[in-house]
Amino acid sequence: MSAETGMDAKLAGNEPLPRVPTGRFLWSLVRYRPWLFWINSLSITLLFVAEMVPGFVARDFFDRLAATQGRLDLWWYSALLLMSAAGRIIFLVGCQLTNAPFMLTSAALMHKNLFARILDLPAARALSTTSGEAISRFRDDVDHVTDSMITFNDLTASTVFAVIALTVMIQINGLITLAVFLPMTLVVAVVNLASGRIEVYRKASREATAQVTGFLGEVFGAVQAVQVAGAEEGVAAHFRRLSAQRLEASVRDRVFNGILESIFWNTVQIGTGGILLVAGQAMGDGRFTVGDFALFVYYLGWITEFTALFGIVLARYKQAGVAFGRMTALLGGAPAPTLVQHGPTYLSGPVPAAGGLPARQAPPLERLTVAGLTYGYPAGARGIHDIGFTVERGTFTVITGRIGAGKTTLVQALLGLLPPAGGTIVWNGTPVADPAAFFVPPQAAFTPQVPRLFSDTLRDNLLLGLPEAALDLPAALRLAVLEGDVAAMEAGLDTRVGARGVRLSGGQIQRAAAARMFVRPADLLVFDDLSSARDVETERLLWERVFARPASTVLAVSHRRAALRRADRIIVLQNGSVAAVGRLDDLLATCAEMQYLWHGEDGSAA
Amino acid sequence: MAAPGPNYRSLLGTYLAPQRGRMAALTVLLGSSIILQLINPQLLRAFIDAATTAAGRASLTTLAAAFLVLAVVQQALGVAATYVSERVAGTATNALRADLMLHCLRLDPAFHKARTPGELIERIDGDVTAMANFFSQFVIQIIGSLLLLVGVLAVLWTVDARAGLAISVFTAITLAGLVRLRLLAVPYWAAARQAAADLFGFLEERLGGLVDIRANGAGGYTMRRLYANLRERLRTGRKARLIGSIAWSVPALANAVGYALAFALAALLYREGSLSLGTAFLIYYYTQLLFQPLNQISHQIDDFQKAGAGIVRVEELRAIQPTVTDGAGAALPAGALAVAFAAVTFAYSDEGDETAVIRDLDLRIAPGEIVGLLGRTGSGKTTLTRLLVRLYDPTAGCIFLAGTDLRTLHRADVRRNIGMVTQEVQLFRASVRDNLTLFDPAIGDARIWAALAELGLADWGHSLPAELDTMLAAGGGGLSAGEAQLLAFTRVFLRDPGLIILDEASSRLDPVTERLIERAVDRLLRGRTAIIIAHRLATVERADTILILDNGQVVEVGPRSALAADPCSRFAGLLRTGAAAEVLV
Repeated sequence: MSAETGMDAKLAGNEPLPRVPTGRFLWSLVRYRPWLFWINSLSITLLFVAEMVPGFVARDFFDRLAATQGRLDLWWYSALLLMSAAGRIIFLVGCQLTNAPFMLTSAALMHKNLFARILDLPAARALSTTSGEAISRFRDDVDHVTDSMITFNDLTASTVFAVIALTVMIQINGLITLAVFLPMTLVVAVVNLASGRIEVYRKASREATAQVTGFLGEVFGAVQAVQVAGAEEGVAAHFRRLSAQRLEASVRDRVFNGILESIFWNTVQIGTGGILLVAGQAMGDGRFTVGDFALFVYYLGWITEFTALFGIVLARYKQAGVAFGRMTALLGGAPAPTLVQHGPTYLSGPVPAAGGLPARQAPPLERLTVAGLTYGYPAGARGIHDIGFTVERGTFTVITGRIGAGKTTLVQALLGLLPPAGGTIVWNGTPVADPAAFFVPPQAAFTPQVPRLFSDTLRDNLLLGLPEAALDLPAALRLAVLEGDVAAMEAGLDTRVGARGVRLSGGQIQRAAAARMFVRPADLLVFDDLSSARDVETERLLWERVFARPASTVLAVSHRRAALRRADRIIVLQNGSVAAVGRLDDLLATCAEMQYLWHGEDGSAA
Repeated sequence: MAAPGPNYRSLLGTYLAPQRGRMAALTVLLGSSIILQLINPQLLRAFIDAATTAAGRASLTTLAAAFLVLAVVQQALGVAATYVSERVAGTATNALRADLMLHCLRLDPAFHKARTPGELIERIDGDVTAMANFFSQFVIQIIGSLLLLVGVLAVLWTVDARAGLAISVFTAITLAGLVRLRLLAVPYWAAARQAAADLFGFLEERLGGLVDIRANGAGGYTMRRLYANLRERLRTGRKARLIGSIAWSVPALANAVGYALAFALAALLYREGSLSLGTAFLIYYYTQLLFQPLNQISHQIDDFQKAGAGIVRVEELRAIQPTVTDGAGAALPAGALAVAFAAVTFAYSDEGDETAVIRDLDLRIAPGEIVGLLGRTGSGKTTLTRLLVRLYDPTAGCIFLAGTDLRTLHRADVRRNIGMVTQEVQLFRASVRDNLTLFDPAIGDARIWAALAELGLADWGHSLPAELDTMLAAGGGGLSAGEAQLLAFTRVFLRDPGLIILDEASSRLDPVTERLIERAVDRLLRGRTAIIIAHRLATVERADTILILDNGQVVEVGPRSALAADPCSRFAGLLRTGAAAEVLV
């Protein structure tokens, strides 16, 4: 990441989470692939209903046991029990057939919506957290929501069970049934009282996890630096500290949940005590048989599950709200429902066809005019202010200035990679409404200061999905002075470059990124500092080949003399504003900052 | 892979053994809770017998009250057990995560080149979190369930030997079935977890390269790649779930058989007149009580399988060993270190490339000598420094540090004595202090300030918003590239190495910051041996010796002044090119 773009030093985790309508979001996920959800719901409900059979069997058995002195038709009971088991297995398979598809399809929808939105945001400021922390939201929060939804189906099923069981039990003995169900209202009250805490603990636990995963990501992104510095132990010690903090948070979260669950169970146990007290009288009177008691005890276990589940689902619902909030925070200001907006996820059937070459959005560049361009970082430092300049077709424009002058910021704001706070960008006399969508090939192409490659083949990294047949890849390699490197690679363009391109040298990554830019037909080429192409010969060749390209319009950040001398126009930035614009000779005569930069460089160059 | 089964025992032994005290507490809590669960049905029997005979009516209230008290105590024990087991599991998995991280940090570059940070997050955190359930649930659910099972059977034997035998046989068969199914789905869950790791690895990498995706108009392409990853996750997840569900079907069948068995036993024994109605109910109730642990075990098999897949993957990770290993160890002298390469040849063979990057290279650097290393991209400069810090070992030949073969030293000693500043400074989202000391608490603030003052950076340190406590944002945001460089110098200076490797990174700095850095470098190199990879001739000015590499071989070496004066030297040629083309500045 460029040092100039990371100014907002806000700590992730302190951001206030957006509040979301949890119910509406969940409902939207249900409606995305409704049949999966409803088949799952129906299967599990029928599964529970099949579970009721042994209760009736037990009641009948104990009522007849005393009456017949043990001479019962045991085959009939066995047949009933086995039938209920067969039913349970069938419905179980129905459950499992829909379970993973529903959860993973819902997860895929959220993944897609989140990622598509992040790709849409001004790219240099799209994430307010590290990518490792963002991953924790993509993984843990998404999974939490989908897990919760399956739990809702369990609740539906056990509710149906409870209603049927209640009806049966009331018909047997209303008073005793009342003694069982009264405690449940208590449970609901307790959960409502405690729910605020659940949210707090869960949030703390998730954030502690995000710290751990974020740090892991950073460490393995910088593994060689850690190894070379011999800092493995220190890094592991810091990791242990973060893990210990997470343990405290998660134990608090889990034990609190455990206490709540235990309260549900206790309430029902107390209800059982209630049955015992009331049933004692009724059993003596013959109004309540041992068979009735067997049925009550059997159903009580299930109703216990219902009560516990009721509390769990309430808690999970609250936690799902936290998870939605954390995911929504990644949406960068888009309306919260974007997260669960329906759309294709291409999990089956044909995938969307790869596009051909990008279509032109405007006539070829004649003149690009920037006026009043302004950007301020959230932390308040080092933005750019009221920048104006013009780039004509076929010219070479250099942006120069000291570190922190705003060079990278200017380029990124121009290209829509940062959201500008003000200013206009005009292409051939037509204002550009959405720079981010406009400054892509074939209008413009860009090489960032610290380019990133992905763990694919070199070819895939250069093409990024463009059809190779329609492009001149060898020419792009030559322009970027990468042709020799590729020829030396055993697998050539099919060489896998490794995570973030680590199998290539720093210079090769830079030049691969340049080749990635050159292979795209573009009116305007934008370089943010090519200087890390590094060695003398290579860099000289690269500049030569770029300038030899017919009708290249180039906008480059540089403080190289060679570049400055060739420039048709130099924009000197100072503290985020334009200090001067012009050709080198004029600027050296009139602009103090240009003189400073030029002679400062002279001074350091022996 | 699944044939011998995941190695549960070795992991349990390693990570649970240090927590004997907690394990003992957990045993007591679980044991008491199980005993209470066994006693409660006895109260029910007494209650039924008392309620169905006129004589026993008076004791009904006492029995009901006893039932209530036991229920409450049992729940309290349950909460306490949850607390202890969460601690045990958390402590064990934290230790495992830290060990895995350290293990991975010690692995070869080839290992890391093949894996994204996102994938390693998933393997170190994701897999181990699945195992956290295993660690905590194994104790609470599996062992607790098994104990309850044994307890119930024991009580049944005392009630009636035939009932005890019949139910024992039934339980043994059911349990054997469940255990056999245990490993069935492990490979499928491993595949599902790999698909998840791939997905999150993909996302992590793309989230780190949003600018590149966006500015190249590759959004659509990247979304298509996401769809492929999501599709694979669904495919593997669905399969794992379906295979895993076989384990769920067994208890359903077992329940039906168990109830039938209980009814048959109760009916037969009652017909003989050998038991009361209360005892008949007790047999039924205990059989029902058996299902709880049996179901519990089969429910846990789901987690168990996921954990099993996690353990397989963790074991795989632990089995990977670095090819570069520690030697016997030897003391390195204080102060500037000598360096020597003797007939060193090296190829990145771990990447399947047998082409030598360094060829039969000989080299001697005296203590305190400053060497300027020149050469075009791919000439072997970076490889040479990587060999020196033992990221790799030479394919042939030896490297000596202060006269000692690198391979006989501890890697940690080598790296402690070599300070390396790379082109890109890696910063962590932590305080400036932690970034300077790299999380080494042994380095006190006084030493840090002294180092900053020595390097002429005290003013810079005091200008930070919270001085050393200033938190750096993700990726070092908040610091300019120059400041990051200064921080890297201080980092190296604090460790007082005898050899400095400086891969010049001033190409992105403005001249003003550069001068501040020049001063710091001057101080840093004083009294140390140094190898500077220079991309600009200006930097070479401070070198005593110039070494030019080409194609993995030394093509020129000698005192800088002599080479500069010799018009036939390559160095003089480079100086001329630099002056003419000015691309060197």
